[in-house]
Amino acid sequence: MTGIAQKLASNQKQVAISEFFEKNKHFLGFDSLARSLITAVKEAVDNALDACEEARILPTIRIRITKVDAQKDIIRMVVEDNGPGIPQKSIEKVFGQLLFGSRFHAIRQSRGQQGIGITGVVMYCQLTTGRTTHVRSKIATEPTAAFVDIGLDTRKNKATKANAGREIWYNEDGSGKEHGTEVTAEMKAKYQKGRQSVWQYLRMTSIVNPHAEIIFIDPDGEKHHWTRVTERLPTKVESIKPHPHGIELGQLQRMITESNDLNLNHFLLNNFSGVTNRARKELCEAADIAGTRKMKTVKGDDIRHLLEAFQGERLCNGSPVKLLKPPTNCLSPIEELLIKKGLSKTIDSRFVSTLTRVPSVTQGNPFQIEVGLIFGGAMAADKPVEILRFANRVPLMYQQGGCLLTKAIESVDWRQYGLDQAGGRGVPKGPAAVLVHLASTNVQFTSEAKEALADNAEVMEEGRKAMLEMGRGLRKHLEKKKKMAKTKEKFELINDILPAIAKKSAEILERPVPELSGSITKIMSAVISETTTEWNKQTKQTDVEIILFNYTTRVRAYTILATWPEKSGAKIENNETGGRKEALGVWAWKLESLQPGEKKIIAYSLTGLERGDWTETEVLFRGSQDVIGATKMDEKFLQEIRRQEQIMEESDVDSQEAEPGSEAVDEPETVPEKNEISEVPTEEGVEPAVAPPEGQRTLFGGEV
Amino acid sequence: MSRTRTAEETKTAMHKVVAEMYDRIVKGEPPTMTLPVRTKTNIGFDKKLGVYKYGKKQSVRDATSLGSAKQLLRTLHVVEFIEEMLDAGKSSTLREMYYISEGWGMGKFGSQNDSNNLAEDLEIVTKCLREDFKLRPEEDGARMIGNLTLRERNRRGEWMRINARDDVGDSGYGVPYNVELEKIELLEHDIDFIMAIETGGMFDRLIENGFDEQYRCGLLHLKGQPARSTRRIMKRMSEEWDLPVVVFLDGDPWSFRIFASIAYGAIKTAHISEYLATPSATYLGITADDIVAYELPSDDLSKKDIEALNAELTDPRFADSWWQEQINMMLELGKKAEQQSLAKYGLDFVTETYLPEKLAELGLA
Repeated sequence: MTGIAQKLASNQKQVAISEFFEKNKHFLGFDSLARSLITAVKEAVDNALDACEEARILPTIRIRITKVDAQKDIIRMVVEDNGPGIPQKSIEKVFGQLLFGSRFHAIRQSRGQQGIGITGVVMYCQLTTGRTTHVRSKIATEPTAAFVDIGLDTRKNKATKANAGREIWYNEDGSGKEHGTEVTAEMKAKYQKGRQSVWQYLRMTSIVNPHAEIIFIDPDGEKHHWTRVTERLPTKVESIKPHPHGIELGQLQRMITESNDLNLNHFLLNNFSGVTNRARKELCEAADIAGTRKMKTVKGDDIRHLLEAFQGERLCNGSPVKLLKPPTNCLSPIEELLIKKGLSKTIDSRFVSTLTRVPSVTQGNPFQIEVGLIFGGAMAADKPVEILRFANRVPLMYQQGGCLLTKAIESVDWRQYGLDQAGGRGVPKGPAAVLVHLASTNVQFTSEAKEALADNAEVMEEGRKAMLEMGRGLRKHLEKKKKMAKTKEKFELINDILPAIAKKSAEILERPVPELSGSITKIMSAVISETTTEWNKQTKQTDVEIILFNYTTRVRAYTILATWPEKSGAKIENNETGGRKEALGVWAWKLESLQPGEKKIIAYSLTGLERGDWTETEVLFRGSQDVIGATKMDEKFLQEIRRQEQIMEESDVDSQEAEPGSEAVDEPETVPEKNEISEVPTEEGVEPAVAPPEGQRTLFGGEV
Repeated sequence: MSRTRTAEETKTAMHKVVAEMYDRIVKGEPPTMTLPVRTKTNIGFDKKLGVYKYGKKQSVRDATSLGSAKQLLRTLHVVEFIEEMLDAGKSSTLREMYYISEGWGMGKFGSQNDSNNLAEDLEIVTKCLREDFKLRPEEDGARMIGNLTLRERNRRGEWMRINARDDVGDSGYGVPYNVELEKIELLEHDIDFIMAIETGGMFDRLIENGFDEQYRCGLLHLKGQPARSTRRIMKRMSEEWDLPVVVFLDGDPWSFRIFASIAYGAIKTAHISEYLATPSATYLGITADDIVAYELPSDDLSKKDIEALNAELTDPRFADSWWQEQINMMLELGKKAEQQSLAKYGLDFVTETYLPEKLAELGLA
């Protein structure tokens, strides 16, 4: 292998590669020895996650880092997955192609790569150690695994391969591996610990990929294991066509040049989202180009005019052409329940609140903000909260201060929500971690390093709103905790202390023990509710019990309401108290009379949930007298739920209407946010059936 | 002048407290315990007794909160415990009671301070003394030196005659926790006044310099905030022997409080002020004037010191013009000084210059 390296070193092209790397190492993610290792792991793990996701396999990924030569900083990385595997013929294409053709007109949310993907890792290894990258891969239909050493021939823009062969792939336990890929690469790199480390990258990856099992063995031989907490794979995303609002001149030029469409009418209808038949007509009018023009004849000023019509600078009948919003089913949010699980498994805490906002659009690109807040537990109370930033499920680990997502956190006055924050600005302090995830078809970064999101007013506003909602959730939780502690105290008082006082005073005075009910009513003087939500191991159901006790001297009547995660597919079973559904995810029971001293129990089970999905039921009441342990029903809360129901129905209709060719209706109203804290059920994503795309992907739909 | 009650009287008094709780439960109400408010807002000067006593403000401790309910339950346990001791003819220290409460389950004390406060509560509502309850304090009694003679009944029940100058070592006569008539009798003296001293260092300095003999006085070491028995014996000596009492303390807000508790009665024990306070006691020093007049080495007042001084300005016990002036002056100076700061001018300065000058002002030297 040193032979090859020497040969390459004397090669002219080798110099070119070095220069390419040297010039672009920031953008490629290889600007320091520590970061190079993170980038290498990141590329390999992203590939594994993507491959599993497309093949609908629950990923199990093993990463092992070993120091080969500590003095020369040579490190070996082995990443093994259980993905579908790569056919032998394709291995060199996947690992060795320097630049990929991008299907530029396909836009969708994708993990995207840091720099140039796994090929960059192969190149970096070759340049820093002179060694090739060993790849072993097996697909299910073949009995043996293919292996090969991959290098790079940059002149031909393709892989060099050596030592190719086939072998039986045994697992550690001696069984045969069914399918998967393993990459072994040796590079000049440094392993370090802390906030910017392989460990942190994997930890963050595990949070937003709760369906993945990740096992990491660090250079000290220590094993870090992030377990799979859900069997649910991320929703598959649909590719969407670009929206005219998000198009730039160069892109439009290229699309026109490469177009096979019959004429401009067809071009507009076939290649864009949000363009209805009406809009198509109006765009042509505004651009002052006949729709029947052949594409070959559309050039120069025409293109500029078309772009101006897109952007509303050229008018049709005195106003900008109205376009439909791009469809948002091309986004794959992680979703509230799963973020919650990802956070809870990684960080020990007392409270988790997560929120997925309804998708929104900026400059023709759909995007969606998700946030999570985890509080309490073993986290340090006097340090700034940990910020976990993600773009399209990819952890962002550098340039925290300059990132839009950080700014969204900083824009909130957290003091009102129970966290410390000097002057109500900056990163708050407290035993908490805040997660922010931007899912978008076009993530805009501050620089090619792709580590910090660029400013964008709409994204910022969405992020900020999500934070505020999250903060309210935290405050509610803290208040509830206080209330619950008080209720608990009262129960201790009447159940333990008061009887003891009665007994002891009677003993001392040598009189009979007095009856307590009168004193109890006077002390409590309230109706009290206690709610438990527990996972039942035997039945695999979540059991909920709501107890109501009337500690007043009057008969009371209430309607009791409880939340359940209906949107996540949960069903209420064994509900002997009856009642009826009040709204999406809200059940109601009418209690006609609750006599003084009477106790009533409402019990039911929730099916269709996994353990840990639903741990807290919110209980509300309607009635004139307070119920300790329940929240008075705010009818606005119901209205909000009903409005969301309506939006969800409407948005299904919208996406159908957005299909090109169908006759357009007016632009849909601005979609109000869907905001929930963890107690409230999440929306189950629409899962479109789409064949996995072919070949390599580029960064977030852009070009390399 | 003992006010000791019999075991039966004590029990009856305690039963009243228990009956208040019991009767409320029978009536279907939360049990309660009524006791005077124990803050400076509820102490007033009793002209007849010449000391500060609790006023009429009552607070009701009722079982509507967990904390108060637990306090009531503890009270019942304490009553039961005292009854057992009365029946068995035993006594215990407050600290022992605190540890015994470990066995009281939900009625156990949270801290030693809890048990001390509760014993005081019971004293106040029952108008008994803790001696009646057979509860002994842990607190350290004072030391005395001077030509005075008393009789103390020892453990074997024999009376011993002790002269606090001739029959004691350098550490003086140790004042026991019970100084009532059944334990201590004051026999005779040949002194002109009694001087109470805050710190042990100053007490020893005066003894070494032979101050007690030279100025014909009894010296009493207070050990900081004086124990009940210390205040009680001062009161008895002052009344029974008709001797003036002068108090020599550090010059800071806390010393002012010590003096107030000696002369006017402490807020915490205002229910028995007439047995503990010595209204005729005089504050000798260190005063705020002294800091200036003697140019004493001083420290800056801390935030807590300033808070304490401000609180004293509204304390009825410091309402007279001399105290208001002293407190305000100290606030203005922003300084406090220790007794030992007099050593700036040499070891003998206190006995040869400072004290003679101060005593001369009072006509005692």
